[in-house]
Amino acid sequence: MDEFEQELRQAFERQPAPLGLKRSIMASRRRSSAPRGHTVLWQRLAATLALAAVLGGAAVWHQREEQRKGEAAYRQVMTALRITNHALDHMNKQLAAHHRASQQ
Amino acid sequence: MAHDWQPDFEQLVDEHQSMVFSLALRMTGDRGLAEEIAQDVFLELDRHLGKIESAAHACFWLRRVAMSRSADALRRRRVRGLDLWVEIKEHHGLPAEVRMSPLGTRLEQLMATLPEAQRAALVLRYQEDLTPEEIAASLDAPVATVKSNLQRGLKLLRAKAAAHLKEYVRPKECLRGV
Repeated sequence: MDEFEQELRQAFERQPAPLGLKRSIMASRRRSSAPRGHTVLWQRLAATLALAAVLGGAAVWHQREEQRKGEAAYRQVMTALRITNHALDHMNKQLAAHHRASQQ
Repeated sequence: MAHDWQPDFEQLVDEHQSMVFSLALRMTGDRGLAEEIAQDVFLELDRHLGKIESAAHACFWLRRVAMSRSADALRRRRVRGLDLWVEIKEHHGLPAEVRMSPLGTRLEQLMATLPEAQRAALVLRYQEDLTPEEIAASLDAPVATVKSNLQRGLKLLRAKAAAHLKEYVRPKECLRGV
């Protein structure tokens, strides 16, 4: 290393950082970490609420769907019973008519 | 990978603020901007603290990020068309212990006129006393490129010093040994 490079090395010694630099770094760190924790808390709360809303909605929808299916099945059974009843009634009348004809 | 080293952020700031600030200052030439860069670099270190494995890793990481942030700041300034290196003129307003010798100041001024890649290589070489291989790792550049930048930067700086500084006006053979 020659004289010029030695001079360069001396000229390029590290300079002391400004007095307030560390203080401002630590203050920024506190500022950025405080809302960060706060934000994470809010984000978690919002995510939990959203999840609860989705699950609740799904449960209600499922319950209503089951109810609708039950009602449809009930209506079908009732219709089938009415048809059967009508057929039996009709059959009964025919048998009664046939019975009366055979007695006469 | 598990590591035993427990980083203490405040201690890292104490140990490395001078290095980070000096790198940013010598790359940008603006004390205010260098302070902003140093602050950003340390806040980014805080976010990456869990990934830092040792004191040496922290130093390497800080050096690398300081150089990268300084390059970004220079790029942004170039885009905005602002002229850098107005800083040296402000030295009269600094505390006495911060002020450099007139020759040191002039060398810094001359350094400011070098291309950015050469300046980065020279700053890491003469401020941080790094080898070309270490500089290459810090700048994420090939070693051959770093060696070439060091050689060209030093040659250019020597020529500028010979032309502008009376302390370095010397016979031509002294310049030939670059």
